[in-house]
Amino acid sequence: MRAIITAFALWAAMLTPAAAQEVDLAKAQAFVMSLADDAIAILSTETTRAGREEKFGKLLNERANMRRIARFTLGQFGRKISKDDFATFEKLLGEFIVKVYANRLGEYSDEKVMVGKAQAKKKNIIVSSRIEFANGRDPISIDWWLRLEKDGSMSLFDVRVLGVWMAQEQRDAFASVLKNNKGDMNALLDHLRKQISADKAAS
Amino acid sequence: MFQKSLLIIAVALSLSACAGSGAQSPNNDPFEPTNRFMFRVNVQLDNYILKPVAKGYLYVPSPVRRSVRNFLDNLASPVTLVNDILQLEGKRASTTALRLGINTTVGIFGLFDPAKRLGLEKHDEDFGQTMATWGVPEGPYLFTPVYGPSSPREFGGWIVGWGFDPMTYQDDWGLEDAIARYAIDGLDFRADNIDMLDEIERSSVDFYATVRSLYQQNRASEIVNGVTNIDDLPDIDDLDDF
Repeated sequence: MRAIITAFALWAAMLTPAAAQEVDLAKAQAFVMSLADDAIAILSTETTRAGREEKFGKLLNERANMRRIARFTLGQFGRKISKDDFATFEKLLGEFIVKVYANRLGEYSDEKVMVGKAQAKKKNIIVSSRIEFANGRDPISIDWWLRLEKDGSMSLFDVRVLGVWMAQEQRDAFASVLKNNKGDMNALLDHLRKQISADKAAS
Repeated sequence: MFQKSLLIIAVALSLSACAGSGAQSPNNDPFEPTNRFMFRVNVQLDNYILKPVAKGYLYVPSPVRRSVRNFLDNLASPVTLVNDILQLEGKRASTTALRLGINTTVGIFGLFDPAKRLGLEKHDEDFGQTMATWGVPEGPYLFTPVYGPSSPREFGGWIVGWGFDPMTYQDDWGLEDAIARYAIDGLDFRADNIDMLDEIERSSVDFYATVRSLYQQNRASEIVNGVTNIDDLPDIDDLDDF
């Protein structure tokens, strides 16, 4: 009887979403390796800033779930705004991220990414990696936070460089802008527009 | 001197404990208006003094700057070693001890880093991190000009660190030497990060909040020695539902 109960429990456990969507860690590591290779290829082959940003934007849209990132970076304010405001924010955030990170990552074009261990819990996967520098500079640890999507594919959610989650950093800055403008979403949208246009003027 | 060190530890612990009992904002920044003012002062100091000097420092040949960095890192190793031990990190303590021994001798008083070539990578520890592992609360976020972002626990830990530093007990090591050491340390750090900090300033919607986030996240990561634990991630399941 006990054996039947155990077997039933195992069968029931296999039907739970977590088990049904068992995470393939090797696939997650391959996802990161491919993403890092593609990003480095863009940074090293695209000589113009515009070209680099265009390809980086395409890569981001393909591999990251921008809607989820937009919702996260808005925090609790995301639930209070209109669909139109959210759509505008999501679009501006995409442009902003591309401009910020295509340039922040500019100096890492000729370096090597070594993908390390992966760990998973529910739909979250963390893949560790290291950037090794040819010029003898200390290596940098980078963690990639991936999410398992409903269709079984994977998407990028956040990247942690030197102990700092990038989406969390943006969330903190956006929350501060909103707080200092009494929750006015237009103030944040204007800030993003200004940053994007200032960047265009500088390029 | 030992009694003095104990006194400093007691003061730092009580300072952190008091600070931890206060009301805390989401970013642990109840003194934000004052901190923002101090931050603006610091930005001006940086623009007019530190950054130009740091740019000048970049003209010093790279191998010389590398040796200065190695020397300062080696000088900080005893403090790291004491804190490795206080955190019961045996493996990291032995790495620090070996690095200190090898780099002070073969590396000529720490000017070179042969230990790294032997696979003994540098890491930093301070008493602020040690207190964090003991469960001492961080206290509110504090920004002070020159010293930069901090908290009562970290600032207290930095002061206690002097008590762990053998240089403190050298008769011919005065206050001017200590100031010169921290000044060069800060200058080297600033010079090393000129482009990155410029880029962060330029691309931030709120530079103050960005620096606060970078500091708080980086500090939390240092306390757990950079280890990412998947259990510590925020729950984002609800982001798929609205």
